[in-house]
Amino acid sequence: MTLFKEINNVRDQFNADLERISDLKNCEELKNRYLGRKGFVSKLFSGIGSVNPEERKDVGSALNSLKEELQNKILSAMNNLSGKTEQSRYRDYTLPGFPLFKGTRHPLTQAIDEMLSIFSRLGFDIAYGPEIETDWFNFSSLNLPENHPARDMQDTFYVDDKIMLRTHTSPVQTRYMTQHKPPVRIVAPGRVYRNEAISSRSYCMFHQIEGLYVDKNVSFADLRGTLELFCKMYFGPNARIKFRTSFFPFTEPSAEVDVSCFLCSGKGCRVCKYTGWLEIMGCGMVDPNVFKAVGYDPEEVTGYAFGLGVDRSVMQKLDIHDIRILFDNDIDFLEQF
Amino acid sequence: MKIVLDWLKDYVDIDRPLEEICDLLTEAGLECQIIKSGPAVPEGIVIGEILSVQPHPDADKLSVCLVNVGLDESLQIVCGAPNVAQGQKVPVATVGTALTPEFTIKKAKLRGVASNGMICAEDELGLSDDHSGIMILDPSYEIGKDLNSYLNSQIVLDIDLTANRPDCMSHIGVAREVAALTGKTLHIPEARPKEKGPEIHSMTNVNILAPDGCPRYTARLIKNVKIGPSPKWLKDRIEAIGLRPVNNVVDASNYVLHETGHPLHTFDFDELAGQKIVVRYAGEKETFETLDHKVRDLSKDILLICDAEKPVALAGIMGGLHSEISDNTVNVLIESAYFNPVTIRKGSKQQFLSTDSSKRFERGCDPNVNIVYAQNRLAELILDVAGGELAKGMIDVYPNVIKPLKVTMRFAHLKRITALDISPQICKKIFEDLQMEVLSMSDSAITVSVPTFRPDLEREIDLIEEVLRIYGLNKVKGNSHLEFSISESFDELNPFLNRMRELMMGHGFHEAISNSLISGDMAHNNLWGYEPVSLMNPLSGEMDHLRSDLIQPLIHNLKINAARKRRQIRLFEMGRIMAKDLSQDTHAREYLNLGLLTCSDLWDLHWTSAPVPADFFYVKGILYNILDHLGIKGVTLKDITAENDSYEILMNILTDKKVIGKIGEFKPALFEKLQLEYPVVIMEINLDSLFVLKKPVIKYEQVSQFPSVMRDISIIVDKTMNSETLMKEIYLNGSKFLKDVVVYDQYLDDDKLTQEKKALSFRLQFQSVERTLKDQEIDRIMEKIFNSLIRKYGAQFR
Repeated sequence: MTLFKEINNVRDQFNADLERISDLKNCEELKNRYLGRKGFVSKLFSGIGSVNPEERKDVGSALNSLKEELQNKILSAMNNLSGKTEQSRYRDYTLPGFPLFKGTRHPLTQAIDEMLSIFSRLGFDIAYGPEIETDWFNFSSLNLPENHPARDMQDTFYVDDKIMLRTHTSPVQTRYMTQHKPPVRIVAPGRVYRNEAISSRSYCMFHQIEGLYVDKNVSFADLRGTLELFCKMYFGPNARIKFRTSFFPFTEPSAEVDVSCFLCSGKGCRVCKYTGWLEIMGCGMVDPNVFKAVGYDPEEVTGYAFGLGVDRSVMQKLDIHDIRILFDNDIDFLEQF
Repeated sequence: MKIVLDWLKDYVDIDRPLEEICDLLTEAGLECQIIKSGPAVPEGIVIGEILSVQPHPDADKLSVCLVNVGLDESLQIVCGAPNVAQGQKVPVATVGTALTPEFTIKKAKLRGVASNGMICAEDELGLSDDHSGIMILDPSYEIGKDLNSYLNSQIVLDIDLTANRPDCMSHIGVAREVAALTGKTLHIPEARPKEKGPEIHSMTNVNILAPDGCPRYTARLIKNVKIGPSPKWLKDRIEAIGLRPVNNVVDASNYVLHETGHPLHTFDFDELAGQKIVVRYAGEKETFETLDHKVRDLSKDILLICDAEKPVALAGIMGGLHSEISDNTVNVLIESAYFNPVTIRKGSKQQFLSTDSSKRFERGCDPNVNIVYAQNRLAELILDVAGGELAKGMIDVYPNVIKPLKVTMRFAHLKRITALDISPQICKKIFEDLQMEVLSMSDSAITVSVPTFRPDLEREIDLIEEVLRIYGLNKVKGNSHLEFSISESFDELNPFLNRMRELMMGHGFHEAISNSLISGDMAHNNLWGYEPVSLMNPLSGEMDHLRSDLIQPLIHNLKINAARKRRQIRLFEMGRIMAKDLSQDTHAREYLNLGLLTCSDLWDLHWTSAPVPADFFYVKGILYNILDHLGIKGVTLKDITAENDSYEILMNILTDKKVIGKIGEFKPALFEKLQLEYPVVIMEINLDSLFVLKKPVIKYEQVSQFPSVMRDISIIVDKTMNSETLMKEIYLNGSKFLKDVVVYDQYLDDDKLTQEKKALSFRLQFQSVERTLKDQEIDRIMEKIFNSLIRKYGAQFR
């Protein structure tokens, strides 16, 4: 029998066998039988040495085309078979996964924490003070003596004549300084209270972060540098700040700090009311009277302080227009964070 | 506070764009906004002249007018007003004008006749309620011009002042700031009223009986004034600052107040009994009717201006009804006084009465220069607008002169605070521009006399701020090289709190932040039995106490969520609660607690498994998970359900007999109204305690290389037998190889069980770190466990 004939026989046999296979396993066997190392096709190739040299080229090419044909047929058979198997074993992997509850942190504590971690990177320790405060810490020690008109700036909830809910986190400054010698470098987060009617724009309770740094030669430029760095870290590397002279009894000079609007970068938009700037905090150099109240020598040390309103900045960032939603604790709100 | 631009220009030249002035003032501490004030009409209303009026062919009440509005072609406008006539100058709303946001003028046809605009009545322009006919304008108005240019609308700076700057509560005060900031000269008009007639001392006198409350009192007297309306210029300015013109004398007094910042008062001299002034404090139970028609109960620290018999004014706050200037007033006494800021503040607060006058006195007026200047300005202005003769001289009672302060500023300290090199010359100029007198200057320091109109400048640091804010606050560049002393203590609380938050988040809870202010009922109903702290001046009865637990606020949150039909409510809050404690300086103790509340399933609806409601044991699991995370051992629970009616089960969480928390499940009946799907389970735990108890470092225990062995026991015991007791017994006999015991099943109502019995199944895990345990040795241990359970607790094996 010539090799050509043998090639045709193998092809016919293969086609017949192919008809009979029903699963991937058969198909695999078929492949080994014909195309394996000891398969029919290999055997045919090994017979090529006995063919006379004139015919060798034609036989070779016939063999190669047989091999290619068989490979293709097996491949397409395998594809068909594997498709069939998937259908029979079909599972709907688009079904939802197990409904684990997503816990969330309140956007206010997220913001406070982010701010605290930035200040921690800038070397500030965290300090705390009570929410119910004495008149001395909340007002007098902060250069707000009795009958000072500036006490009107803060509507106060009184527990009795001399005890109140703190109206700002600034009393943590004097509490801390009465217990620690300079240098002092702290931030103090916490709730503060103002006796203001509740509306979409104001709530009787909100959150502040107080900052204080007292050392031998602290200057307004240190304050500005620190706040610039904070704003870049919190609002993004393009944040710019500007100062406006202001009045707080416990700092002199005092300033309000505006930061370029994070949304429009200062071009003007709804969030910044088309001014390009957002008011974020008050700050200044610690007033010598505050140092005197806590027993520091204002000739020895200087310092800066700042106070940042968290709630308003969170409202701006999240585009919240009604502050009350922060304290309703509706889970439809909370679960978004 | 409103500052009228034209008025401001009386005292200082303004040649820069107004926005720039506004920014400069704002940076220097006078927060400034440009607003318009006074009457104004919408854009697009122009002056038109009616060229002709023809009757409308199809409507009796309409006329067809040709109107010249300064364009090449006249406009045909159909008008319905009865008073329209040829030759009138009228306001014309041209096509495109929005009279109101909803009403824009369009080309229209009225009964078939084209109309290209509208001739307006006053009410249509928003100028008055008059709709009797179209508004007829002055014939001198120029055709085609914007009507607004003829109305008295003014550019006004709305300035938000800080409490320390009473000197800026006036046009001259703001002008002084503008002058200093822009390098212009301040022009203060002279005030030299022409005196005439007899000496004032021959007609009246002033007696100060309370020199602490009233350090200085000056008076002038003008006879034969003619009360009437103010001239237009005066009315316009009074209206522009938002006041209502009254009459020439009262308007003049208000004008000088807003010009100089010094409050003045004018009395009808003939209404003053004995024609004299006495300044004294009120007596007990004295009453007085102020010009707002209120009869006021006075107290001893209210300062009064009186005549020979009775009070005529609350000093520095408000005048009395009976001595006010009326249409019949002929003779006017002008008061320009200086009152003690604290006295006025107390009086104003006590009477709940804050006026233009009291606001200035309580922040501090000028007892030396401005007081007299304002007196003379007002005398001059009244003579000008109301006529009359000014008596010679001025009564001036000023027993103890208040001297201006001398303050020294060291240049080195200026640099230390501001980090700026500002030359002594610049400092000197700034002080002089602010009308301070430089007394001396050396290389190292400058000493100034601070005028008494600046009560806020007392110390070196105050002068430093003046230099900085005029020089430019934003000229201070932030240090890019920060050098600082690092604090020696490092807060550990905040990282701990964050860890707790993360644990709660991991359990699928949402963090809540609730109002600390709650009702007395809620506060008294607290879990801990604390006495709550109450407020003297609450916003409402719903918020007159501070919370004494976190459960009450969480229940409030639950109610809000339930009312909105929210499902799967799982909330936690970390915050302070307060309890009365007189041993503290604040008379309260604050505890930092974690509260949680669930009203939910263990997982949400899912196709693999039906949801299971979260109950007491779920929250108990969370508790032990937290404790395990923190490495806290030895925590026990004690049933205190009997102490509280609201709970199905309530337990104290104890360490060493100290209660550190509560855990419980509410009786479902409590929330019947809310129609909840699940039980309400709560836990509150004191974080201060956990912070102390937590293991600082969790030490590593050797991990076994050898396989563990599991054994199960199922026993039948009395229903009242606690699993905890049995577990302890198992551990006791379980040898060092017993690693873990789990209760994995409980049968209460099995057919094979009697009423009094229950079946419990435990799975025990044995392990050795040294070797693989042999079955025989485990068998021996198991037998020991079986025997002890039988002997001690009457257990039967299933």
